[in-house]
Amino acid sequence: MEIVVAVKPVPDAETRLRPAPDGTRLDPAGVKWVLGGYDESAVEQALLLREAGAATAVRAVTVGPAPRGEEVLRSAIALGCDRATWVETPADAALDGIGIARLLGFAIAKVPHDLVLVGKHAGDDESGIVGPALAELLGIPSFPAVVDLRPEAAARGFRFQEALDGGTVRVEAAPPLLVALQQAWNDPRTAKLPNILKSRKATIDRVAWNEASAAVGPTPGGLARPTRFRLPPPRTGARMIPYKTPEEAATALVRALRDEAKVFP
Amino acid sequence: MPDFALTPEQIGLRDTARKFARTEMLPKAAACDRDGRFPEEIYRKAWELGLMNLNIPPEYGGTGLGLLDQCLIVEELAHACGGMTTTIMANCLALEPVLLGGSPEQRTRVLAPFCASYQLASFCLTEPSGGSDAGALKTRAIKEGDGYRLTGQKCFITNAPQASLYTVFATVDPAQGHRGITAFLVPRSAAGVSIGKEEEKMGQRASSTATVLFEDVHVPAADRIGAEGEGFNLAMRTLDQTRTPIGAMSTGIAQAALEYAAEYATKRQSFGKPIAEHQAIQIKLANMAQDVHAARLLVWHAAWAIDQGSRGTLESSIAKCFASDAAMRVADEAIQVFGGYGYMRDYPVEKLLRDAKLAQIYEGSNEIQRIVIARELLRSLA
Repeated sequence: MEIVVAVKPVPDAETRLRPAPDGTRLDPAGVKWVLGGYDESAVEQALLLREAGAATAVRAVTVGPAPRGEEVLRSAIALGCDRATWVETPADAALDGIGIARLLGFAIAKVPHDLVLVGKHAGDDESGIVGPALAELLGIPSFPAVVDLRPEAAARGFRFQEALDGGTVRVEAAPPLLVALQQAWNDPRTAKLPNILKSRKATIDRVAWNEASAAVGPTPGGLARPTRFRLPPPRTGARMIPYKTPEEAATALVRALRDEAKVFP
Repeated sequence: MPDFALTPEQIGLRDTARKFARTEMLPKAAACDRDGRFPEEIYRKAWELGLMNLNIPPEYGGTGLGLLDQCLIVEELAHACGGMTTTIMANCLALEPVLLGGSPEQRTRVLAPFCASYQLASFCLTEPSGGSDAGALKTRAIKEGDGYRLTGQKCFITNAPQASLYTVFATVDPAQGHRGITAFLVPRSAAGVSIGKEEEKMGQRASSTATVLFEDVHVPAADRIGAEGEGFNLAMRTLDQTRTPIGAMSTGIAQAALEYAAEYATKRQSFGKPIAEHQAIQIKLANMAQDVHAARLLVWHAAWAIDQGSRGTLESSIAKCFASDAAMRVADEAIQVFGGYGYMRDYPVEKLLRDAKLAQIYEGSNEIQRIVIARELLRSLA
């Protein structure tokens, strides 16, 4: 039983984001790329399953340009992944979710993938397309918002809960399957120093862009094209209500909420 | 040409230390400082991640990092808590004499257990009657049978209450001055070893500090590090290695003080605008930023020189001395930027000043560092 975790390099939450000069995308200059939160959760889940004896190996797979694609895989190896596959894209390749899923699918189809784990959506665009699209391309069932994934001792499969609006559904499923994980039900580990050092020397299997892009069809990057990328407008300032007594403050606040903000009639 | 770009490996090490510092250390730093609590759960986690024993080579199970790598890690840890950082770093100090002067048998026997499980060691040099004048220490090692009988007192010893092993400097012949000083390994379990009361410190209160007493402790000859009389040199060479990380710790404290002050200055209003828009505050922040930047560069340079094989006595003394003085200046100014709030324990900056103060005193006071710097300077002119 081998697990594949699809991961994506995303901007570190502390990075200051800027639009690129052409205004259609994020300016990658100065961005620190990291393994996103949902992906960290997925890697942690895969390692827990392996440590529980439910899997023999964990492979991290990513699609992305140098050096960030390689770096995110080395981070996954430092956390404990056994192997890694990198589909190296040109620096200027514009990829949408379908494009990424196609390239991931091409790489993952070549390796054992009894269980494919993904974060429920990427930490940057949050589109949530890659998981379901990848399952479709691989011809395996997918479960889009899973928590508490555990190996099923009796059958050769998995038990988990899927989050729904207002509740959860319990599922048992046999491999092969794709599971998209909710964040924060597990506590992703921190890489140990000796593992960071070892991860620098680990072998990363590479899938050449020419080979992958030719195999996935005429529009390897996908169909969507971003037209504009901008930051949200700065928030306008808060207003302090001057008052002498608590009653006066409450009255002024209720009036502002009702008459100006119109939060109630 | 110098190259200040960190390797991907160094970035990985630094980021792990940063994550650990922010998620594990920082949330508990204020409470440990207030209560003087030794957070063993944090130190165990630090050990698990490999953040302790940074100087032990891979053949004994350690990471064997270079000094620059170590300094990157130490700065991040100290950004969250100087006291915890001192405890985490203390094994490097206590075990360095074994690395530098121990026999192959001693290195295997002593170093490997520290990498195999969480254990602490303490460096025992300072005595109640003196620290800087290490050549005049009074702890006696009298030759007896197949070993030595050790008698004396060591004070201000980091991690002493929790340590399982002490690296002790004692004299085999007081008449010989520093030429009589010899280093020994003494386990906590040896008969005659006892720990005095834990000190109440001004800062760095998450680390523990106590006196260690040796009363007729039998030390086998196999636990002597190096030859008789080599102890003083061993202690000095050890401090040459560990001084630079004290500079890195100071830089971490200073960086934290600068960040707190800059952030506060953009939020706190006076005379109708954020105080960061007043030139008086801008000048403070600019001076603080210069201090932090210069401290970091001196630390990096000293670490780099030592990694290149230089003994680095001059460079490390400059780095430690400047960075710890800078940390005091920057923490002091951070309190000033915070005004009355900065003087209150509910705000994080007064702790930084108390934590920084120790860096001017321990591992060679800054007065000693200046003596060293002047001596090296004048020797080069002679």
